Amino acid sequence: MTSASPTNKPSSLFEAIELKKEYDDGSVPALRGVNFKISEGDFVSIIGPSGCGKSTLLNMLGTLDHLSSGSLLFRGKSIIDLPDPAAYRAKDIGFIFQSFHLLPTFTVAENVQIPMFGMPWSRAERKERAVKLLDSVGLSHRCDHMPLKLSGGERQRAAIARSLANEPAVLLADEPTGNLDSKNAVQIMELLDELHQERGMSMILVTHDLDVAGHAERVITMKDGLIVSDDKSSEKNSSYKS
Amino acid sequence: MNFLTIVTRSLWRRPVRTSLTLVGIAIGIAAVVALVGMASGYEKSVVKQLEVLGIDVIVSNMEGGMMPKPFDAKLQDEIRDFPNVKKITSVLMRMISVEDAPMMMVSGREWGGFTWDQLSVVEGRMPKDDKERVVVLGRLAAEVLRKKVGDTVTVEIEDFEVVGIVDGKSVVENGAVILALPLFQEVSGYEGMVNFIDIQVPSEADKEATQALCDQIQKIFPEGRAVMAKEVVGTSQGFKIARAMSWSTSLLAIIVGVLGVMNTMLMTVFERTHEIGIFLALGWKRRRIVYLILCESAILGLLGGVIGVILGAVTCMLLEMTPAIHGLLEPDLSLTLMSRAVMIAVLVGVFSGLYPAWRSSRLTPSVALQG
Repeated sequence: MTSASPTNKPSSLFEAIELKKEYDDGSVPALRGVNFKISEGDFVSIIGPSGCGKSTLLNMLGTLDHLSSGSLLFRGKSIIDLPDPAAYRAKDIGFIFQSFHLLPTFTVAENVQIPMFGMPWSRAERKERAVKLLDSVGLSHRCDHMPLKLSGGERQRAAIARSLANEPAVLLADEPTGNLDSKNAVQIMELLDELHQERGMSMILVTHDLDVAGHAERVITMKDGLIVSDDKSSEKNSSYKS
Repeated sequence: MNFLTIVTRSLWRRPVRTSLTLVGIAIGIAAVVALVGMASGYEKSVVKQLEVLGIDVIVSNMEGGMMPKPFDAKLQDEIRDFPNVKKITSVLMRMISVEDAPMMMVSGREWGGFTWDQLSVVEGRMPKDDKERVVVLGRLAAEVLRKKVGDTVTVEIEDFEVVGIVDGKSVVENGAVILALPLFQEVSGYEGMVNFIDIQVPSEADKEATQALCDQIQKIFPEGRAVMAKEVVGTSQGFKIARAMSWSTSLLAIIVGVLGVMNTMLMTVFERTHEIGIFLALGWKRRRIVYLILCESAILGLLGGVIGVILGAVTCMLLEMTPAIHGLLEPDLSLTLMSRAVMIAVLVGVFSGLYPAWRSSRLTPSVALQG
């Protein structure tokens, strides 16, 4: 995966047309007609107050939930009613969650291997890949530790290593620094910046923290289930960084 | 780490609950092994006894439960002249309490009948004739009653001297008190009655000829039955009842096991909603999660089954040592029964995991992630 070259028109990663999501038989609208396009290699932040629909939108992009109506394309193909959404989540998407979602009964290296089941890799290959990924996030010394023995920052690094397990096209991060202190939050954002810049990894990050959002090249602001602004400033969004 | 690691790690996360579930399944399977093993052991003992005695056809009454109801011994005289009757003898056999033994086979045998021929004297002697008021004891019966030659044993209301200890080459024979037919008829109040007529056919008589003899006897004894010895276990009402009772009791135990595993697996799914959400978010297919749950419940069944078989075998051995059963039968702890019991346990596990697995596969990832 590489970021779009300035001379070529960047290819579309996601395209959303009139996305709507309603809960409780339509009485609670979460998304009320959202439209956007995200290109390969983009680093996009989605910000907004609690309940504005930003996490719901991320869930839609990751097929973790069903749309009520509208159309959602990934690389030009609809991901609504995919016959095998698990394959899409396994191969094309990497998730990073606010509360890490590491499995407590598995070691850090085993956690990183969880998404690899279903990939055509042997047990030894899975283990080798997990160790390499953990090394790349600075956790090679923690491979055999249980997640509960790790600090918050380390857990999120482990979760990032896991999200990269199957070399996804895009990372979807939901409040990745929400459970971290400021020092760890900075380190995690530096790691995500590095992944974006060095690997050209596409990233979509949901946050309510403007400093975190400022790491992205594009900031989408949502309110009441709608996009109210889409700031595509070049380079980093310095206006959001303190 | 492989798939099995994930399965076993999940099970041992709650060791107490998993262990209790295993105990539940193990008790159910132990009941299957013990009950079916004892019932089947009894059947085999009887088959062995018939083989040892060289009985080809058995005539008995239809009614009477485990021991058929006695009938007029004169029937034997009518059958004696039928074609293909080589030897014929009659027996009055009852399961009664003898001294301290709550249940013991007492066999009154027609004097001079071929059923005496297979008994070999281990100690003492055989009765002199059918007038001598004495008994011989099978080896196990002597052990159970703690009797030796010269002691007396009380059968019904009369004391008989033990003149010999015999080896009958089968558990049933060795577990019996044996005496002459008229004596037993007299003390049991069944004078002139027997409940079995045993027939030997000539060696040249084939299955059809033997069956023809059975049919002929059936005509003159319509209220009773005449069956080939090899079929007696399969057709006997008593054995059918024993088999049905052992399996139905086992079924109850199995149902308890199913409920136990289902409860555990449902709790597991409820508790692990969040974890299942993580698996789904990380790209696990729903069918892999179903497979995970089913594997967990199958492993519970397998382990419970193995423990249950061991427990059942030990129970059988202990039961066999109790005075009520010792000498009456040898439990049948065949490899077939044990592997069948383990297979039942695995099926119980898989069946119990079906609903929890189906439920887990229906979860929406975003909802599951919230726990």
